[in-house]
Amino acid sequence: MFGGLVSNCVFLTDLFKTAIFRISFMALLAMAGVLVAQFWLIYTHVESVEADRLTKILTEDADTLSHMPLERLKYVVNNHIVDDLHIFVSHIEVFTSDRKPIMGNIPTWPQGLETDGKLHFVKMRFQNGRQYFLHVLAVPLSNGHVLVIGCGLRFLIEQKITLQRAMLVSVVPVFFIALLLSIALGYRALSRIKEMNIAIKKIMGGDIHERLPVRAKQYDGVEQLANSVNHMLDKLEHLVEDIREVGNNIAHDLRTPLSRLRSRLERALVMVESEDSCKASYEVISQAIGDLDQCLAVITALLRITELENTRRKEGFSLVHLGEIINDVYDLYEPIAEMENKQLLKHFAEEDIRVLGDKHLLIEMLANLVDNAIKFTPEGGSITLSMKSMREQVILTVTDTGIGIAPEERQSVLSRFYRSDKSRHVSGCGLGLSLVKAIISLHEIEMSINSGPNGIGTCFCLVFHKVCENLEFCKAKVIAS
Amino acid sequence: MAEALQKHTQEERKILLIEDDNVIAEEIVSTMNCHGFCVKHIDNGDAGLEAALNDEADVIVVDRMLPSADGSGMDGLSIIENMHRQGVYIPVLVLSALSDVDDRIDGLKAGGDDYLTKPFVIEELVLRIEALLRRPSDTRVTKLCVGPLEMDLVERRIWCNGSEITLLPREFRLLAYFMRRPGQVLTRAMLLEDVWQYRFIPRTNLVDVHVGRLRRKIDLPNQESLIQSVRGVGFQLRVSD
Repeated sequence: MFGGLVSNCVFLTDLFKTAIFRISFMALLAMAGVLVAQFWLIYTHVESVEADRLTKILTEDADTLSHMPLERLKYVVNNHIVDDLHIFVSHIEVFTSDRKPIMGNIPTWPQGLETDGKLHFVKMRFQNGRQYFLHVLAVPLSNGHVLVIGCGLRFLIEQKITLQRAMLVSVVPVFFIALLLSIALGYRALSRIKEMNIAIKKIMGGDIHERLPVRAKQYDGVEQLANSVNHMLDKLEHLVEDIREVGNNIAHDLRTPLSRLRSRLERALVMVESEDSCKASYEVISQAIGDLDQCLAVITALLRITELENTRRKEGFSLVHLGEIINDVYDLYEPIAEMENKQLLKHFAEEDIRVLGDKHLLIEMLANLVDNAIKFTPEGGSITLSMKSMREQVILTVTDTGIGIAPEERQSVLSRFYRSDKSRHVSGCGLGLSLVKAIISLHEIEMSINSGPNGIGTCFCLVFHKVCENLEFCKAKVIAS
Repeated sequence: MAEALQKHTQEERKILLIEDDNVIAEEIVSTMNCHGFCVKHIDNGDAGLEAALNDEADVIVVDRMLPSADGSGMDGLSIIENMHRQGVYIPVLVLSALSDVDDRIDGLKAGGDDYLTKPFVIEELVLRIEALLRRPSDTRVTKLCVGPLEMDLVERRIWCNGSEITLLPREFRLLAYFMRRPGQVLTRAMLLEDVWQYRFIPRTNLVDVHVGRLRRKIDLPNQESLIQSVRGVGFQLRVSD
């Protein structure tokens, strides 16, 4: 019970903290304020109208009465008192010129009253000890007496009360209804936030498959936010899986050479112990060093990819002649292709095509692609480097007549350590194409992988953006993006 | 490697090694001793700078990152800068665990003459030190002559035993690099870096293929090759004739 109370209190304080509650509560207060102000305006207006009316009636009455013959006036004054027929004029008295009462119901001369025919607002105390506020007016009579007529504030007070009642009747229910509404809205928002919080706690606890609740039909701000958070979580989950997979692959790729290394060293140890031939143990140890080099090559390549993914390098970009790069890589690999009985060809019009980039990285990228193409092309096959210039783009292609990449594998070949089943027998650390990917994303080159002509082999197609005339502008654009 | 040491055989060649990792330092010291160098090892930057200024070493090998007791940090590059500020110009080889190309450029900009990334083969270090000790022949020389080979650097022509050979530009540069350093063992990494100016090339046998091609063009039939392979290390242009 007590616990329930405490949690209710906590819930209420949470509720009062919600933005939606605060906003609606503030709107409510503003609305109430406007209503009160409206009523006040109506009241002051009515009051002034009423005062005008009173002045008019009293002045007219005073005029009529002051022109009556004395006997008649006496009668009217007495009737007023006796019959109590007064509707407006509640008080009437005839005073002598030295302000002594003669007849009527005002026992003394009201303080502050002047015989000027104008309306005065006075405070009076009667015999019964009660105080009255009166509007009074004094006019001189023909015989030198003074007639004083007045009326109480009854009408005004009644009107005031009526208006107050009307205000209460209209404002209070509206206020309560709005309060209830804002609590309901706040509660709804709070309960949604609560659901989201539960989901977020689960995600923080390590359950990366959890998502924020999204109600399909509604599409308000919170819903949109939840949707984009969910998209972000999808992406993060994907990245985490990637990292996990890469971690597994690193472990796997390092374990093989490391276990080979271990058994080799063990063998060397036995050889040294049994004073076996020195030459044999030399062989074993140099093989062991080879294994170790393979491990180090994997680590170096990984560090390098990480380094390339750091976009800070863009600052060092300069204008690079693509043709020169193709020629350089061609020169570098042509002897290798020839040695392996494959043909390396280049096809491009020698025109001055320049792109913005890091020359060494672009060479490294193309070298990796060519290396790869040579590796996967059987003897007698050919590898072609070509460049085509379009209006604003340059397309560089590396086409081989090798084993090809299946369409479903074309995306995954770019990920780290990916090795197609067809390529298990070929040496390499499986990082060459990820390095290419890192370099092309640094340079914002679009790359597509297609089948070669007639469906044989593979064609890597790189789309560069041609450099505009203004180098600094281009650079700024690239860095900004 | 004995023939590679000609120039300095009589005099002791002094190396100053500034390296905080004692295990690696020990390996370097013992290997260098085997090759006839006299190595002084210092394991921190401040003492290292003092030794660099006063010890008159022939080559200094310095680790890029060095710890210091008070945190005032005298790292490898600031040692070089300090040396140069005091007018001491001794060839420096910078060792680094950083593989970043930019770091390599930093290292060379600060005045290092060569740069080697850890992990490295100690043999490679020895050969690079040798190379630093015997800087190539004067760059103003326009003609190079080694054994039967004769090269005109201005006209870019080459003769072997008097008959002209045609080489591709790349091959010409490779041979010129060898001829400037006759008898010196050059590693694959050194050739890639200096002749091709590449540092990360996917295939390790690339240099071998190019050297193989060059051999076929310059060697005479039925004779020992002019460019000899040095097992597990690199290549060497033969001079003994």
